[in-house]
Amino acid sequence: MRKLVILIAALALTAAAWAQGDAVRTLTLLTRPQTVAPDEFQAAQLVAQQWRQLGLDVEVRVTPWEQLADLVWFNRADWDMTMWRMVGRAERSDPDELIFNLYHSSTADKGYNFIGYINPEYDALVEAQRTETDPVARQKLIFQAQEILSRDQPEAFLVYPLSTYAFRSDIWDAATVVDQNGIGIKNFWTYTGITPLTEQKDLVLNFPDVVQAINPFYISGAVDSWITELIWDRLLRIGPDGLPQPWAAESFSWVDETTIDVTLRSGMKWHDGLPVTAEDVVFSFRAPAGDEVPMYKPFVTNIDDIEILDENTVRFHLAEPSAAFLTSTLAKVNLVPLHIWGPILDDLANKPDENAEDIQEEVPIGSGPFKFSSWRRTQEVVLEANPDHFAAPKIDRWILRIVPNTEASLGMLRSGEINFLSDYKGDPQVLLQTAESNPIKVVSSADIGFNYIAFNNRRPPFDDVAFRRALSLAIDRDFIAKAAYKGYGVPANSPISVALNYWNDPRVDELGSGLELAKSILEEAGYTVDRGKLHYPEGVVESLGN
Amino acid sequence: MAGLTRITSRLAQMLFVLWAVATILFFIFRLAPGTPLAAYIEPTFTEEQQQALLQRFGLDKPLYVQYGIYLRNLVRGDLGDSFTLNDSVASVIGDVFPYTIALTLISLLVAYLIGVLMGAVLAWKRGTWLEGWSIPLVLTTRAAPEFWLGMLLMALLSFNLGWFPAGGAVSAGAEFSSEWARFFSLDFLKHLFLPALTLAIYLHGLPLLLMRSNMLEVMQEDFVTMARMKGLSSWTIMVRHAARNALLPVATAFALGIGYSIGGNVVIETVFSWPGLGRMLVRAVAANDYPLAQGAFLVIAAVMILMNFVADLLYSSLDPRVSSGHAKH
Repeated sequence: MRKLVILIAALALTAAAWAQGDAVRTLTLLTRPQTVAPDEFQAAQLVAQQWRQLGLDVEVRVTPWEQLADLVWFNRADWDMTMWRMVGRAERSDPDELIFNLYHSSTADKGYNFIGYINPEYDALVEAQRTETDPVARQKLIFQAQEILSRDQPEAFLVYPLSTYAFRSDIWDAATVVDQNGIGIKNFWTYTGITPLTEQKDLVLNFPDVVQAINPFYISGAVDSWITELIWDRLLRIGPDGLPQPWAAESFSWVDETTIDVTLRSGMKWHDGLPVTAEDVVFSFRAPAGDEVPMYKPFVTNIDDIEILDENTVRFHLAEPSAAFLTSTLAKVNLVPLHIWGPILDDLANKPDENAEDIQEEVPIGSGPFKFSSWRRTQEVVLEANPDHFAAPKIDRWILRIVPNTEASLGMLRSGEINFLSDYKGDPQVLLQTAESNPIKVVSSADIGFNYIAFNNRRPPFDDVAFRRALSLAIDRDFIAKAAYKGYGVPANSPISVALNYWNDPRVDELGSGLELAKSILEEAGYTVDRGKLHYPEGVVESLGN
Repeated sequence: MAGLTRITSRLAQMLFVLWAVATILFFIFRLAPGTPLAAYIEPTFTEEQQQALLQRFGLDKPLYVQYGIYLRNLVRGDLGDSFTLNDSVASVIGDVFPYTIALTLISLLVAYLIGVLMGAVLAWKRGTWLEGWSIPLVLTTRAAPEFWLGMLLMALLSFNLGWFPAGGAVSAGAEFSSEWARFFSLDFLKHLFLPALTLAIYLHGLPLLLMRSNMLEVMQEDFVTMARMKGLSSWTIMVRHAARNALLPVATAFALGIGYSIGGNVVIETVFSWPGLGRMLVRAVAANDYPLAQGAFLVIAAVMILMNFVADLLYSSLDPRVSSGHAKH
């Protein structure tokens, strides 16, 4: 009898041990240091706390950006989770760049889909939206894509950050400062339209890092693009509403799905006095298709041929219909002078180790509303207004000062050393307080970018949809927005920001959240909690032990 | 002729040290984790672009080939091209070096002038109430973090009183007829004042305490007692006899101080947005811009080695009791 009892007890214990899988290992969450990204760091700590209540052992590992990027990008099998963010840029007003490159299977190995999300259903959707030129049909496809992402949670979106900028309201006419969707007031339209109220006609703004290059064929850094946008024109420009509008092109019209005629504005001149011609336009779009302009190449590969119809009209023949052509190509590629860059690129063809990115003109020549005046890399960039431009600015000079000290930049705004705060990573409350007793106007707006937690979909348990969903739903995004982002973030559940209100799918924002919900999802999927530790479903072993 | 062989052997030594530093730098950066490509990661960053970048940076070649190219260029005076700033390393460093020199020299001169005078005075006033609160005060300035000191001065003298600007080397958009005109302009000096003052306050502690302790030692010596017995005035004794002897170590400290400060001002440069070498170096290291970081470190090492040499020369020429090779002090 006793032997039977012992046997039954032994069987029961074994059964109990078998009914749960191995304990989930310690999971690491990478983040940048607190001094560099306080909101990201704080968010990581808070989220880790919430996850620990699910029975997980989460380690937050602080890593400087360069090492973090190296690990995540070049060692794709070796990390669990990381904080990451996409930065807003005017050209990202079209959702294609993000919705395709971040989640399509073709970029999972070496490209931006470093999380390793492979979903053929999703692939088909985003491929279709690329060539869908009817905006209503395209919106439907993009909404569907967002819904799939929300269902699969390959990464947990956190917030769309609110960026805060300010300017001196006694020096600049506030009515002429433009708040561009997803970019804020520090944009091209403000710079070309801002009107002075006093004798101070120089716009002095700030940025904490050095300008790397002023080169129309090189996307070298966030602040560099502020300058290239002003010195060089483009056929179209992204307007304050986030949609492309004619700029150097007077008008454009689609002949058919893959053919578009663009009429150049007449009377445009390069800063050295020579006229802007249709040949210059053709050259500007042909040059990146070669080997010397790698960063712009992806944006012109869809162009089969460019014809000159007459001295002011150019016809583009596309290989495939492309919904994003206007935004991602015509509003992105800079118009450069053939007489200057033609010989340079010819010369580069003989130098295999160099390309257009190595070139730095002494005096960059464009046709834009501002002309290059002077540049000291670690100190300032000075541009002067181009009075011959069709949209000539109202100010004399646009001066960018390099100010690495955030607190000092605030003080400088107050004292007038700068009069436009175009970069501010400090506490928005302090800025608002300063604005109360000084002639300073503060403008905060949602960014096109977003902050999120990336899961490595290749590594268990992140290859399990239920696990990812549970982790994502355990996050209280409202709380994170208030605690980590100090209220300067809008809870997010999509790579398309609320700033792009046409493309953002409001339905995905109805994401339930809460620990109970997360726990029930885990339970349903077979996970168990034993003595405070989360275990895999029955029969699953922990293959990546510490 | 003994002097000449001494100098040549010193020079050979210096070159050897420079070569060792250059080699260590080269390998440290390439063996450390991290890659310069991290800065280029974009949604449209394709594999071809990554390969092209590696080629452009010369990182696709085997390590020993890269080293060979590096040394060969170094001998020709070519420090290579920066990865992140499309300019030659020499040009980038050349842009920031004068500003670092200006800040370092002015700050050190002021610090040492004040330090030496105050040190001598405090030595003379030993045991008084002046010494009582001066020494702790000096130690406080030395212990206080530079950025705190800097921000304090900025808040007081720039934002509150509006006497000095808070950042940069010259005013926004200011134009000058030449580089010399720029460096000697009132605008430049106004911008230099606060960072130099902060650095001087921070640095004066060393010469002050050094001078004071040397003076105290010297004042015990027989010849000082002799001078007093002769009836010479305090002033004469202090300046003509004691101070001269006490100054010797301070002179060498000054030379070494230049070497040390040349690359170490990154905090002041960040606080006051001063366009110097320190900030450029930190940025280059963080971005894995190997050529720029190596070049900057090499320049700093060269200055330090040179200043070491100068300090040695100074000491052996100022003090007849010391001759290099038999230094025993």
